[in-house]
Amino acid sequence: MAFLHELVVDCLQFERAFCTAACPFCLDIRDFVGKLQQGRFNIAYKTYQQTVGFPGIVSTLCPEPCRLVCPMKDAGGAISLRLLERASMDFARTRIPDQFNMPWKPRRIAVVGGGISGLACALRLATRKYRVTVFERSDRIGGHLNGLIDPDLLREEIDRPFTHETYELKLNTDILSLDSLDWDAVYVATGSDGPDFGLALNPDGAFATNCPGIFMGGSRIGHDTVRAIADGLNAANAIERYLKIGSMNQPDEPQGTRLIPEAIRIIPGEAIQPGNGGTFSKDEAILEAKRCLRCTCDKCNFHSPLMSYFSKFPKRITEEVEVTLKPSSLDGHATLATRLMSTCMHCGLCKQVCPVDIDTGEFLLASHRAMRETGKMPWAFHEFFLRDMAFSNHDAALIQPPPKHTPCDRLFFPGCQLGASDPDLVIESYRFLLKYHPGTALMLQCCGAPADWGGDDPMHRAAIGSIRTAWEGLGRPTLIFACPMCRQMFAKYLPEIPDEFLYGLFEAEGITPGIRGGGGTVSVYDPCASRHEPHVQETIRNLARKAGFRLEPLFMERTMAECCSYGGHVAIAHPPYAEHAIRKRIGQNDHPYITYCSNCRDIFEKSGKRTYHILDVMFGRDVSGRVQPTVSERQTNRMHLKHRLLRDFWDVETMNAFETPLFLSDELKRKLDRDRILESDLKTVIDDCETTGRKLFDPVLNTFTGHKRIGNMTYWVEYRLKPGGAIEIVNGYCHRMRIEEPGHE
Amino acid sequence: MSDPKKLICHRCNRELELRKVDFSYLGHTFYTDLPCCPECGLVHISEELVRNRIAEVEMQLEDK
Repeated sequence: MAFLHELVVDCLQFERAFCTAACPFCLDIRDFVGKLQQGRFNIAYKTYQQTVGFPGIVSTLCPEPCRLVCPMKDAGGAISLRLLERASMDFARTRIPDQFNMPWKPRRIAVVGGGISGLACALRLATRKYRVTVFERSDRIGGHLNGLIDPDLLREEIDRPFTHETYELKLNTDILSLDSLDWDAVYVATGSDGPDFGLALNPDGAFATNCPGIFMGGSRIGHDTVRAIADGLNAANAIERYLKIGSMNQPDEPQGTRLIPEAIRIIPGEAIQPGNGGTFSKDEAILEAKRCLRCTCDKCNFHSPLMSYFSKFPKRITEEVEVTLKPSSLDGHATLATRLMSTCMHCGLCKQVCPVDIDTGEFLLASHRAMRETGKMPWAFHEFFLRDMAFSNHDAALIQPPPKHTPCDRLFFPGCQLGASDPDLVIESYRFLLKYHPGTALMLQCCGAPADWGGDDPMHRAAIGSIRTAWEGLGRPTLIFACPMCRQMFAKYLPEIPDEFLYGLFEAEGITPGIRGGGGTVSVYDPCASRHEPHVQETIRNLARKAGFRLEPLFMERTMAECCSYGGHVAIAHPPYAEHAIRKRIGQNDHPYITYCSNCRDIFEKSGKRTYHILDVMFGRDVSGRVQPTVSERQTNRMHLKHRLLRDFWDVETMNAFETPLFLSDELKRKLDRDRILESDLKTVIDDCETTGRKLFDPVLNTFTGHKRIGNMTYWVEYRLKPGGAIEIVNGYCHRMRIEEPGHE
Repeated sequence: MSDPKKLICHRCNRELELRKVDFSYLGHTFYTDLPCCPECGLVHISEELVRNRIAEVEMQLEDK
């Protein structure tokens, strides 16, 4: 996990807004406007006052560089910060600053020049209780502002921030040499035509000169009025730093921002015009503040299902993962983010939308593996699917060369879930392939995705290794995929294997779809694994159009495709999250979907959304009365598929050993399906009970109850023995905790 | 648990009685009283207990 910190180095979440980066004072406009949006004028004013020192002067003179960089400038008009600042002043309860009871500091600072830059420096230092003396060669303070603002108003605006602060003012005092000053530090702000005392700026330090303890800023160094005020405030920080640590070589905080316009979601809105022609009313100010986008990069948080659901950004996620991988709790067992790690669907959307390509999903995958290696990841989150994968790669696995000893040039890899969902679709697809490409071999196996998502490296390596061996054994044919997820897994772990999608072959052979859409409207739901497969996305649309459907685009499609909730197998780790994701996906419109991932189809159908697999369309399958198979039926389907394929294409009869003699009500079947309990596991428990006699009898219901640990789950079954050896299962349930029973597992 | 069933151990032909039962999960161990065969110790956990208290504790430990 060496890249733990590297992941978020480039993240733009905490970058300054464009306006703040352009502001001479670096006013936190996101914060300021946020307060105005809530109508909190008083607190907004305090933020403004504390940042700019002299609010009345700054809001009058600021040339508003923020307007030039505001993303709203082409979407209804740049936000009028000047009027918002004015409104914060107009509607604040008081403009008198807060008074803080702090002790005086013994250090003495001289400010040479009573212009606005010198006064800004004096204000900040006086607020921090340093003893400040301002030397002004004329008979009034304010410098060149006296020609720009009404003198009485200027005096009022200068005096107000000093309400609770004191400083010594020496008017008519011309400083001819700094040597005559015996002070701890000096700020020279003598104005554009004032003396510089032979000082030169030191480029290594903020406002530092080549003389120790002497700083310089404002118009004297060529800055305009507003920047001169900012200089005074910032120079005070540099002076305080010097007084504390004796160093003048710390540069000013860098301005600017790495934020980029692409990171911002612009919501256009016409600029609010003040009704009285000059200043905002309270309501107008709030409306204008609400137009502000408060620019920040939240692309991942907005689009990623995980980040939006949990309101977390990459930085927060990496922090939580870090304390989970390296527990800081006293007992060393804190595993704060285990559920979060197991809740990523690995759809890749976070990286897709990130302007700087941060791949939080890949990070979570790696952290998941690291957790598994420590043995602290709750296995229950993935065990069901890992066992299902083992079933696909063992009992239900099949590798067959092309029938009739035809030389092999292609290998059909339908994926394990298509056959689990509907064996006929695999059989029909293979029949089609053999018709046009008789040299097509067949492989029923899992692509390894469950082990990849579950962080089970040994199991994943074994699956990939067996696929590679089989592929090489068949003479390195081109793979034909039906499932985009399999294709994605192969591209990642078996990139040497050439491949194509089954759907392109339909198009190439000019096959007419079996279902006629009759002008009905559907939407193509792109599986998340097809994100970078524009060719297959277009093929599916072509086939759907050819079937006579009218296509309505989805908001989230093609490169923005979202996971149906199957990815990462998150449904066990966080069922409400999976349910939330499904509702969002199927709620995009009221039209049926056409997809090309059997998991998308099954999950949406189960939630009541009419969804066709493109193979349903191609083979003209009537899906109107289709009932989704249970988890147990998905296993028997795979066994039936293997049996039928061997019988139909290779004339091989297999024993039909998967028929079960169990009787269950439909209601119980649905319940077991919901809880992901396999009937075969319950049968294992019953066999154990009957063999060992370890079972409980309920004389009222005439049922037996037994339990057994299989893998890391304990299964309970209530059953009844029927005449003739049949078994009726009455109930089944399971838990993850282990019962410590010496001598019984 | 409400209204516990009267269950009889098939092997020992004894009615179950409350006994201390140990559990473990994710490196944590704990115990509670549950109906067990007084002779062989065969335990019974009802579905109600599994769905409520046990599921709750499992989730707490997974998020701890």
